[in-house]
Amino acid sequence: MSYFSAHALSCVFKQDSSQQNGKTLFSNLSLHLERGEIVDLTGPSGSGKSHVLMALALLDPHASAKLTLEGRDSSSFTPESWRRNVVYLPQRPVLTSDTVLDAVLLPFGFSINRNAKGLRPQTAKPVAKQIRNGLDELGLDDVELVRNPAMLSVGQQARVCLLRSLMLQPKVLLSDEVDAGLDPDSSDKVGAMLQNAATHMGMAVLRVRHRNSDGRASRILSLAHGRLSRQEME
Amino acid sequence: MIIASHTAGAVYDINIFGLSVTFLLVALAAILTVVMRLGMAKSMIWSTLRSLLQLLAMGYIIKYVIEANNPWIVLALMVFMVIAAVQITLTRADGIPRGLVMPVLLTLMVSVLIVDSVVSELIIAPSPWYAPQILIPVTGMMLGNLVAAIAVAMSRFFSDMKAREYEVEVYLSMGATPFEAAKPSIIASAKLGLIPTIAQLASSGIVLIPGMMAGQIMAGGDPLEAAKYQFVVLAALSSITIIGDTLIMILIYRRCFTELDQFEPHTV
Repeated sequence: MSYFSAHALSCVFKQDSSQQNGKTLFSNLSLHLERGEIVDLTGPSGSGKSHVLMALALLDPHASAKLTLEGRDSSSFTPESWRRNVVYLPQRPVLTSDTVLDAVLLPFGFSINRNAKGLRPQTAKPVAKQIRNGLDELGLDDVELVRNPAMLSVGQQARVCLLRSLMLQPKVLLSDEVDAGLDPDSSDKVGAMLQNAATHMGMAVLRVRHRNSDGRASRILSLAHGRLSRQEME
Repeated sequence: MIIASHTAGAVYDINIFGLSVTFLLVALAAILTVVMRLGMAKSMIWSTLRSLLQLLAMGYIIKYVIEANNPWIVLALMVFMVIAAVQITLTRADGIPRGLVMPVLLTLMVSVLIVDSVVSELIIAPSPWYAPQILIPVTGMMLGNLVAAIAVAMSRFFSDMKAREYEVEVYLSMGATPFEAAKPSIIASAKLGLIPTIAQLASSGIVLIPGMMAGQIMAGGDPLEAAKYQFVVLAALSSITIIGDTLIMILIYRRCFTELDQFEPHTV
């Protein structure tokens, strides 16, 4: 039995409710992730990679799927506790708080993180020192915690968002091109941090990537024309 | 005659001549908009005519209701006012999804109940309790304010949620409930609906003599009595606008989410 599995994964856009057949982006896909495993998802733009990730986090209203985490069906979770365990990290960085510190702490103000409804005992709110170390590890040592995130570059913002998602210590992280706009050095730091989370916390990581393989993924899946196939590793 | 017109308590009727002069003024303004190509002449004249008819009709109806002095007729008129207010709110709010009749109706009904129990029955306490000359104007003023506030708040909420699409998604992706994800939009929208009411409260008496007080003084009432009435009404209106605004937000925010707490912005 897999750590995380998805079956009958479909995404259909209906123009209106009366219409029976909408535009099908993909249907009946299956995938699984093992504990501590990094898997890459590639494919041409518009093939629906982001929709796959959002569907896995139960975020896509157009998608349907049969999902399990550690053998438990997603229907036995509230949507919030599912998303707390299976965290989707969007490609577009969104940091609405006034400081980097507040931005990273934002999700710790949500009710789900105040009363432990999730699977594991609730993740403690990180202290400033931990956030500082995380930023340094991601090559953001020149970004002060009191800095306004709006003043950061998109690449810097993306890494702050990554750190925020990792601080939640999810069981599964669905990372959508977090290293898209980064230089090779920063991209490697992002990869190393995800690798670290996978190895030490047992986090399963599904990465949408356009870059060449960095050797960290155990499998590479390719999505094209609504089909998911396993790519041969070089 | 001239001396009499200076006495407090005199009532000056507006006759056909007065109404004609008013229309002349509107016509002058309409001509101005035509000259300046503002393209508003038609709607301006139309709204003026409409408001005259509506106000006169209301005047006749209230007159009839006061003379009839029957609680059922008073209640029926209030129900009609609430229903009309629902319709006006829904047409005035741009870009809102369909099917919001129930939340708006509920909000207005609750607000009417609160305002009339507190302002009409507890503070003014007329005898008989259903005195139409108190209940109807209080209900009318409250609905007028609330319709504007709720319409603004609702339009803003749906457009703000659409604009915050990515933000809402990020909130949800980290385990936020729909309420937590919608909260910034709820606050911004409720605030926007409240601005005119709060501004009116703060500025009244300095420059502006609010309509109700002005009317009471012009109709020959004691200015001090008028001031007290106006204060009670303004303060009650602000409170009820906050209550109504909050209520409508709580009743509608879930419209942007599916049953699985997924974000589904309304594209109208």
